[in-house]
Amino acid sequence: MVKAVKHYRPPGKKKEGNAAKFVTRSQALKQLQINLPLFRKLCILKGVTPREPKKKFKGTHQTYYHVKDVAFLHHEPLLEIHREIRVHERKIKKAEAKKNLERAKRLREKTPKPKIDRIIRQRYPRFVDALGELDDCLSMVHLFAALPAAESKKIDIECVHKCRRLAHEWQAFISRTHKLRKAFVSVKGIYYQAEVEGQKITWLTPHSLQQVVSDDVDVITMLNFLQLYEPLLGFVNFRLYHSINLKYPPILDPRLEALAADLYALSRYANANVNAIPSVVNSEASQVAESEQGDAKPKRDDIEHEKSELRLAQLQHQLPTNEPGALMQLVEEAASEEEEDQDTRECKNLFKDLKFFLSREVPRESLLFVIPAFGGIVSWEGEGAPFQESDQSITHQIVDRDAQGHKFLSREYVQPQWVFDSVNARIILPTVDYMVGR
Amino acid sequence: MSPTKQNEEDPHVSDSDTDSTYEDSSAADDDDGDSFGSPSESESEPAAGDDSEPDEHGESDSSGLHQEESDSSEDEVAPRNTVGDVPLHWYDDEPHIGYDIKGKKIKKKDKLDKLGSFLANVDDSKNWRKVYDEYNDEEVELTKDEVKLVRRLLKNRAPHADFNPYPDYVDWFKWDGAKHPLSNAPEPKRRFIPSKWEAKKVVQYVRAIRKGLITFDKPKEEDGPYLLWEDDSGLTEKSNHLAYIPAPKQKLPGNEESYNPPLEYIPTQEEINSYQLMYEEDRPKFIPKRFTSMRSIPAYENAMKDCFERCLDLYLCPRVRKKRLNIDPESLKPKLPSRKELKPYPTSCYIEYKGHEDAVTSISVEPSGQWIASGSSDGTVRIWEVETGRCLRRWDVGEAVNCVAWNPQPDVHILAVSLGQDVLILNTHLGDDEEQKKIKELLSVDTSTPSDDSGNSATSVRWLQDDKHGGIKLKFFKTVTAVEWHRKGDYFSTVMPAGESRAVLIHHLSKKLTQKLPFKLHGLAVRSTFHPSRSIFFICTKQSVRVYDLLKRKFIKKLDTGLREASSIAVHPGGDNLIVGSKEGKLCWFDMDLSSKPYKTLKCHPKDINNVVYHRSYPLFASCSDDCNAYVFHGMVYSDLNQNPLIVPLEILRGHTSSDGRGILDCKFHPRQPWLFTAGADKLIKLYCH
Repeated sequence: MVKAVKHYRPPGKKKEGNAAKFVTRSQALKQLQINLPLFRKLCILKGVTPREPKKKFKGTHQTYYHVKDVAFLHHEPLLEIHREIRVHERKIKKAEAKKNLERAKRLREKTPKPKIDRIIRQRYPRFVDALGELDDCLSMVHLFAALPAAESKKIDIECVHKCRRLAHEWQAFISRTHKLRKAFVSVKGIYYQAEVEGQKITWLTPHSLQQVVSDDVDVITMLNFLQLYEPLLGFVNFRLYHSINLKYPPILDPRLEALAADLYALSRYANANVNAIPSVVNSEASQVAESEQGDAKPKRDDIEHEKSELRLAQLQHQLPTNEPGALMQLVEEAASEEEEDQDTRECKNLFKDLKFFLSREVPRESLLFVIPAFGGIVSWEGEGAPFQESDQSITHQIVDRDAQGHKFLSREYVQPQWVFDSVNARIILPTVDYMVGR
Repeated sequence: MSPTKQNEEDPHVSDSDTDSTYEDSSAADDDDGDSFGSPSESESEPAAGDDSEPDEHGESDSSGLHQEESDSSEDEVAPRNTVGDVPLHWYDDEPHIGYDIKGKKIKKKDKLDKLGSFLANVDDSKNWRKVYDEYNDEEVELTKDEVKLVRRLLKNRAPHADFNPYPDYVDWFKWDGAKHPLSNAPEPKRRFIPSKWEAKKVVQYVRAIRKGLITFDKPKEEDGPYLLWEDDSGLTEKSNHLAYIPAPKQKLPGNEESYNPPLEYIPTQEEINSYQLMYEEDRPKFIPKRFTSMRSIPAYENAMKDCFERCLDLYLCPRVRKKRLNIDPESLKPKLPSRKELKPYPTSCYIEYKGHEDAVTSISVEPSGQWIASGSSDGTVRIWEVETGRCLRRWDVGEAVNCVAWNPQPDVHILAVSLGQDVLILNTHLGDDEEQKKIKELLSVDTSTPSDDSGNSATSVRWLQDDKHGGIKLKFFKTVTAVEWHRKGDYFSTVMPAGESRAVLIHHLSKKLTQKLPFKLHGLAVRSTFHPSRSIFFICTKQSVRVYDLLKRKFIKKLDTGLREASSIAVHPGGDNLIVGSKEGKLCWFDMDLSSKPYKTLKCHPKDINNVVYHRSYPLFASCSDDCNAYVFHGMVYSDLNQNPLIVPLEILRGHTSSDGRGILDCKFHPRQPWLFTAGADKLIKLYCH
C-alpha cells in the first residue's frame, strides 16, 4: 500500500533540500537491507557518523545519515561478506542439528573473514592520518590487554593476548626510539604522550590490576571497535618497525615471554636485530645492549655515519628535477628534522648514566617502558632480570614501601613518582622530596 | 470412584508377583535394573525410594525382568498386602489398606499425630532411619548396609561397593593351539590385483577435477599485517566522499585526576553527598581521590565504562566542523611601530620641584623652556628654574590658585594667574631692561577708563592695578577656573563655569578690554582654547566641543564627545586635531576634517582625567589623572589627509602619590624638549625626561 504523500510533488520532480540529502536510520536500514547490529558495525568500521541536517524533517528524535554515507556503505564489500557469513552460520547450524559435525567443522573453518586492511587504507590514506587518530585505538588496545578473558562477556583469550602483544610492540618501539615525551600517573591509569612523526599521541594504560567488566557496558560495540583497532595497530606497528629496519612481527625469547617480561624481550629483540643489520633511523643500540656488549660505542659512530649518508641519499632522491626553490624547501625540512632530533636526543640522554632497579612492589610494566625510553638501564626483582639487586653500579632503586631489607649506601631510594616527574620536567630532579614516606 | 468397583477390581491385581514388581520398579528408577543385586535387598528398597517417587509404580518395563528373581523372595517374607499395583489413594477413605493373602482385610493402623511423631523423633535417635511404607502401612527401619546402599544410589553409583562396572575383558576364545584355521579358504585373487572399480572412480575424479567440477579447499592464508602505507606521496587525489571530520581528541587529564592531587581538589564528604542529590547528568563523572603511594592505587572501576562511552561518542555523535573564525587576533591589530622607534619620549622622573605646601593645581612652562610657573592651593605662585629645580620667585596671593598661564610671547614675561574670582596678570621681572620697560607699560592700567568701553561685560569684569604684586587684577563676579592665552600674547580667555552667558570671556591686554562672546553657549563651559594658527576658538562644554571663528563671528561646528563630563581640551599644533579628556577617564581624539565624532576614544585611566596636552613640536601627547598616573602617547598626524593619525601608547608615568583622592592635577610639556612636567596633589612637581 502506498503511503499518502504529505506534500504533493509533481511527477518527475526530484526531492530537494534536506529530505533529499539525508535519511533517517531506519530508512537507511531499509535501503541497505541489513539489521541494526550489522549497520552499527559497518558504521564503526567505516567511520560513518550521523549528521545534523539543518532541518530535521522527520523529527528531532531521529538519527540522520547522509545519503552519500549510506551509498558509501551500500557499496562496501563488507556488506556482502557479512551476508555470506550469515548464510554460513545458517549452514553450520543446520549441520550441527543434523549431527554432521564434520561438515559443521569444515564450514566453520571456511567462514569468510572480513578484511579490514582496505578499510584502514581508505580511512587513513596517509600514515600520518592513522597516527593522528591513534589515541583511541591505543587506549582501547591497552584496556583490552588488561581485561580478563570471560566467556560470558564474549571476550576470548586470544583477543586479549593479541592486544597485549600489540601494546607491548608499540611500547617497545616508542621506548627504543625514545619518542616518549610525557607520562602522568592518574587514578584512571597512566597517561603517556609520545610524538611520532610530528603527531602527538596520548594514550591511557590501566594500572596492571585485574579490570572488572561491568554489566552496563555493551561489549559487542567495543569488540566492533576492537575489530578495527587491532589490525590498525598491527599495520601501524609494522610500518614503524619497518622504518627502523626490524622484522615484524618480532620473534621473542620464549623464556622471557613466559616470565611476562614481554617488553624487555621485545627490546632485546630489537637490539639484537639492530646489531645484525645497520638500521636507517635512530638505530643506535640502547643502553641495555651497551651494558651487555660493552663495545657498542664505535658501532654507534658507524651507524651515525651511515645515517647521515642515508639522509643525504634520501634528499637527493626527493629532489625534484628542474624545480627552482625546491632545494631550499628541502633544506628547511631537514632543518626541522634536526629540531625534532634535538628533542629526541634530549629525551634519550635524560637517564643516560643511571642504572635503575625496581623493587617488587612498584608497577614494573610502566617503569620498564618509561626508563629505557629516556635512556636508562633498568632491572627488576625476579627471574630473567639483566642484573641483580646486589649490583654495585645501580644508582637508583625504586621502592614504594617503607621497610627495606638491606639498604645500599651507594644508591638512592626513590618513589616511582620521581621517575615520572623527572621525565616530565626533563631534568633529573633532586631525590630528597621523593624519599619513601613523603 | 466407588468402593464397590474397587472391590471388583482388586482380585485382578491380587497376584503374588505384584508385590515384588512394585518394589523393584522403584529401585530401578534410581539405577539400571540390570545391575541390581540380590532380592533380599531389593525388597527393602521401596521404603527408601518411597519419598522420592512414590507414584511411579510399575510403569518401567525393566521391572518385568525381575519377576523371576523376586519369586524366591516370596518364601522369606510374606507381604501381607496383596492389593497390587493400584493407586493407593483408592484406599484413602477405607478403614483397611488392602487384603492379605487369604483375602482378609488389613486394617489401617492408628497414625501418630504430629506431636507424637515429633516426640518419637526426639526420643529415638535412630528415628531418622525409619521410613514409612505406605503400601504395607508400617514403619520400616533401615539397616546400616541399606543406608549405605541408598547413599550410593543417590550418588549415581552402583549400589554395591564391590561391584565393578568396568571389568577387564575376558577373551573366552582360545586363539593359539588350534589345529585348524577358522576358514580354510585360499586367499582370493582380488586381494592381489588393483580394483577396477576404484580405478574407474579415480578416473571419474580426475576428470571432474580437470573440468573444475571438484574444487579443493585453498590452504589457509595468514592475513598478518603488511606494509600498508608504502608510499604516501602520490595521495593527493580527492575522493568524492564527504569530507571526513576526525573525532576530537579526548581531554588531557588535569591535576584532579592525579593519584595524589593537592588537597583542595579532594571533595569533602558533604560535597560527595550533595552529588547524590544532583541529577545524574549534572553529577561529576570523576571524583578525585588521594592515595599516598603508587602501590596503593586500585584498579579504576570505571575504566571499561569510560572507554565504552568514548566508543559511543565516536560512532553515535554527529560530527560538525564548527565554523570558528580562525583569525589570529594578533593579526587584526594594526601594526604599531615599536616603542623604540618612537623615541624620544619622557620615561623617567628626573627632577622633583619641592616647596609648595599644598596640592599644586596648575603649572605653566615659559615659552623658552627655562622657567616654570606653578600655582598651588596653599595660595602661592612660584617660578622655578627648570634645569636646577631652584625656586626663583614666589608670590603670596593669599588664595588658592586655580590656573597659571605663561604668556606665549617669548619677550613678554608675564603670567596670568586665576585665583578665586580674580585673575592676576603678574610681571615676573625676567628679561632685560628693555623688555621690562615694555612689560611695565603693558601692565599699567589707565584707571580713568575702567569699565565704559567694555560694553555689556563691564559689570562682570573690572580691570584694576594691583600694587602689591605689580600687575593687573581682573575682578570677576564668579570663580574663574581657567586662563588661556592667545598665541600672540595679546589676548587671553577666561572660563567661569557658573557665568552662564558670560562664562567665557576674551580679554585684550593691551587695550584692557573685555569682550563677551557673541554666541550662545550650550551647556556648562569647562575649558576654552585658541587655535594655534587661525582665529578659531574652541569652547569645551561638558558634553561637546564648540568651534567658533572669531573673525567672521561664526559658529563653525560642534564636536560630539560622547562623554559624560569633559574636563580638559588640547589642540594639536597643526590645528586639525584635538583631544578631550573626561572625568570618566576617557580620552577622545578628534580629527576635525574627518568627522564630528571622535576618531579614537581611549579608555586609559580608571579615574578622572585632569588635563591633556600636546607637545608643541614632538608628536607626543599626554594625559594626567587622579589615579596618579600620567600617560604618554605617540600621536602622529600626517600631512597626507588620507592617512589617519597614528596613536601609540608609549609610557605610563608613575611616581605621584594620591592625596585626598586626587592624583596628578596638571601636566605640561616642555616647549622644546620631550619632557613632561606633572603637578601632583602630593605638593610635588615632577619632571620626566627621556
